[in-house]
Amino acid sequence: MATIRIPTPLRPYTGNNAQVSVQGNTIGAALSHLTEQHPELRPHLFEGDKLRSFVNIYLNQEDVRYLEGAETEIGEGDTLMIIPSIAGGN
Amino acid sequence: MLKLTEPLHNQIKAHGAASYPFEGCGLLLGRVENGDNVVAAVRPLPNTWPVEAEKPVRFLIDPKAWQQVEMEAMMNELDVIGIFHSHPDDVPVASPRDLAWASWSGYSYLITQVLAGKPTFSRSWQLKEDRSGFEEEVIEEIGGGDTARLGD
Repeated sequence: MATIRIPTPLRPYTGNNAQVSVQGNTIGAALSHLTEQHPELRPHLFEGDKLRSFVNIYLNQEDVRYLEGAETEIGEGDTLMIIPSIAGGN
Repeated sequence: MLKLTEPLHNQIKAHGAASYPFEGCGLLLGRVENGDNVVAAVRPLPNTWPVEAEKPVRFLIDPKAWQQVEMEAMMNELDVIGIFHSHPDDVPVASPRDLAWASWSGYSYLITQVLAGKPTFSRSWQLKEDRSGFEEEVIEEIGGGDTARLGD
């Protein structure tokens, strides 16, 4: 099982858990298992079938976009982090 | 509500002044207590907006930098609870661009006005649940006992 760390604003949708254990051999499968366990999370992470544009997934400190995206393989003990892109301005 | 101490607010204001005339930005670390975001530390970060000439009116936080701060927070049993940035020579009001590039409801968006290089005051905002806009949240100075708009 891998672990996904949940950003603070999304914890109300995971029963206030900061970390959720997930099954699956890929990033895509792990995220699917996460949202199966906590369906209210899904609209905050996905738009249709794709991750929202501001949502980044890190696997052990690497952005999975620079690995193999949803197909990136994960293993026992891996930690995933959900990190937003934030910009703004006056 | 956003709670922070005066020294932490001064650190945020100093980063806004040091970044002038560009927007300065960073992350608020702390805990959510009874629905309030309570700041325990601040982490100024580089404004990585890619167009230098637009940095007086734009900011961007590198997700990799955010990820590293998130790791640091986790190791210190804290969380990222908000984002701060400065508005050089303009009001500290969440803008349409802040809205367009916001993420999730729950983070505090603390904005500090910097006039001619000098920080003045800050206001804090929360993204509405339906992402239709921001609403202002009260800033309370921890230990001061008073609810105030810090920096006035």
